[in-house]
Amino acid sequence: MTEYGDIIVTAILRGGTYALMALGLSLVFGVMKIANFAHGEFYMLGTFFAFFVFTGLKLSPVLTVIAAALLAFVAGMIIERGIFYPLRLRSKSNWLMNTFLLTLGISIILQNVAKLAWGARYRGITSYFEGSMQVSTINVPHDRIFSFLVACIAIIAMALFLQKTKLGRAIRSVSMDETGASLVGVNLNVIHTLTFGMSCALAALAGACLLSINPAFPTMGVNPLYKSWFVMILVGMGNLWGSIVGGLIVGALETISYFKFGAGWQDVISLIVIIFMLIVKPGGIFARKGVKSAVE
Amino acid sequence: MPGKASNQLSNKKGWKELFKINNGLKMEKERNAFQGIGDKLGISPSGLILIVILGLLSFVIRDEFQIRLLVSTMMFAAMAMAFDLTNGYVNICNFGFCAFWGLGAYTSAILAAKLGISPWIGMLCGAAMAAVLGFCLGLLTIRLGGIFASCMTWFVALAMMAIASNWVDLTGGSAGLNVPNLFQTAENRPYFYVMYGIMVLVLFVSMYITKSNMGLAFKAVGQDIEAASSSGISPNKYKIANLTISCALAGLVGGFYAHYIGTLTPQVMHTSRTVEVMAISFIGGRGTIWGSLVSALIMVPLMEYAKGLMEFRLIIYGAAMILCMIFYPRGIVGILEIVKRLLNNRRKNTKEKVESAV
Repeated sequence: MTEYGDIIVTAILRGGTYALMALGLSLVFGVMKIANFAHGEFYMLGTFFAFFVFTGLKLSPVLTVIAAALLAFVAGMIIERGIFYPLRLRSKSNWLMNTFLLTLGISIILQNVAKLAWGARYRGITSYFEGSMQVSTINVPHDRIFSFLVACIAIIAMALFLQKTKLGRAIRSVSMDETGASLVGVNLNVIHTLTFGMSCALAALAGACLLSINPAFPTMGVNPLYKSWFVMILVGMGNLWGSIVGGLIVGALETISYFKFGAGWQDVISLIVIIFMLIVKPGGIFARKGVKSAVE
Repeated sequence: MPGKASNQLSNKKGWKELFKINNGLKMEKERNAFQGIGDKLGISPSGLILIVILGLLSFVIRDEFQIRLLVSTMMFAAMAMAFDLTNGYVNICNFGFCAFWGLGAYTSAILAAKLGISPWIGMLCGAAMAAVLGFCLGLLTIRLGGIFASCMTWFVALAMMAIASNWVDLTGGSAGLNVPNLFQTAENRPYFYVMYGIMVLVLFVSMYITKSNMGLAFKAVGQDIEAASSSGISPNKYKIANLTISCALAGLVGGFYAHYIGTLTPQVMHTSRTVEVMAISFIGGRGTIWGSLVSALIMVPLMEYAKGLMEFRLIIYGAAMILCMIFYPRGIVGILEIVKRLLNNRRKNTKEKVESAV
């Protein structure tokens, strides 16, 4: 029994971060129809911001994480205003593929800007909170629990924001129908910029929480990027609430294959599941009939 | 435009007619022997001169470093051309391209290192292996289009890379696999000739295919799948054929790479490699095999000599890719065409002037 306990604990801890990453990715896809390939780079930026805030300004862990998210929020808004906004004015044809390739270029540029500015070396901290805690039979460091709590709070806050506030409703209305939303007086430009900023902030939050486990490095964003893409494909692109469940599913899938097949093979297993998903149900596991999927 | 033409012809017979028209146009062009062969291979005289000059460079350059640079340039050129065959024609952005390159490399390397099979046969086996997997990839992407097809190729590639790094018994994992070299000398010149041959082969094969009826079908599928299938072209058949050929070419180059470099790590399959190839291909111009070749000849040495700029060069790389992808999809070929048109206009103008003077 204890083995199952371990699996569940690890799966939930892993899944929380994946859900946070995937939520940001889905948000941007749902609202702006951008398949963001540079999402991992905002995770990377988040870790760097957190490192400098934590070691430089000596803020408390909670404030560090919030500061990193805010900085990434600003960075995301600048990128949206500077790159996607002009492109949206220019043309809408083949928008999905063009923006996908555009984010690929942004990802290369951000990685190398980070290398240029901070050098290709690891910058990590030993821990936010020292010590660990006994859950089931494994020792879970306090930082893991901290990051899981932050993920939970962020997801709940996002859910409340999107459901209850006027701005949140405006964002959801844009993701449902752009023309309709603009007809009832939603300013699309503001919503787009805000959404992209928030998505970046979520990714940065995930990165900042895990700073003590994954030290900051310019190319570290690749792995979280894959993971959040798995989740997004698994639950269907642009499905916000599905991505939270999907994050936990991918977390569980990886943990189970890690325990059963050994380290390294978890990627192979989850990839095979995702490939199978794409063949059988490209709209994702939560795709309903009658809902237009994004498959061309 | 084949896409528009196939819109009007709405049955299988119509498609055959279109082929006939295509062939007829070619027949008219065949004025002399050279142009007959040239048109079939899609080689213009200026292109042929470029290839011959590239080959002759090996006699002029004595510096080993520069020969090495040329070999890697030609390798990227061959890769970018094979990439363009899929990306520019059937309009599937193959995100896992370098995994097939790596697959060819690993197949050839493992055959040579574990079974002692000659690298020359190994390279062909690598190409065959990549072709088989490319065929499977084609089957997997049948139902998907646009970004989903790209994701599929990407995930397949990631899975292949994960297998390569975890199957330590076979591939040596991230510690690397030692591969016997193709030649026993430390000189790079023999490799130059082999790579030159492979590059010319890739060029001719892709040019031949794109100029043939098959290439026309590829273009029709890439432009509008529904219009293509309504005029009797099977999109599935041509998508699969295209991916098989493109991956086989990548595998062939990969086989050479393994025996040229000498050690293989799973990093050869990494997405960042694909992005490099993609950038070269996009900067050259989509749907023009030539563009990729010219772009590689310019970009790879440029990047090598710009090493002093450190990270700036990759930032420039990314920026150039963005600009070419979004704002100027014709790439280098587009610029060359503008230059050609300007030259033609000037020639015409001077001719008119001379005539009016007479």
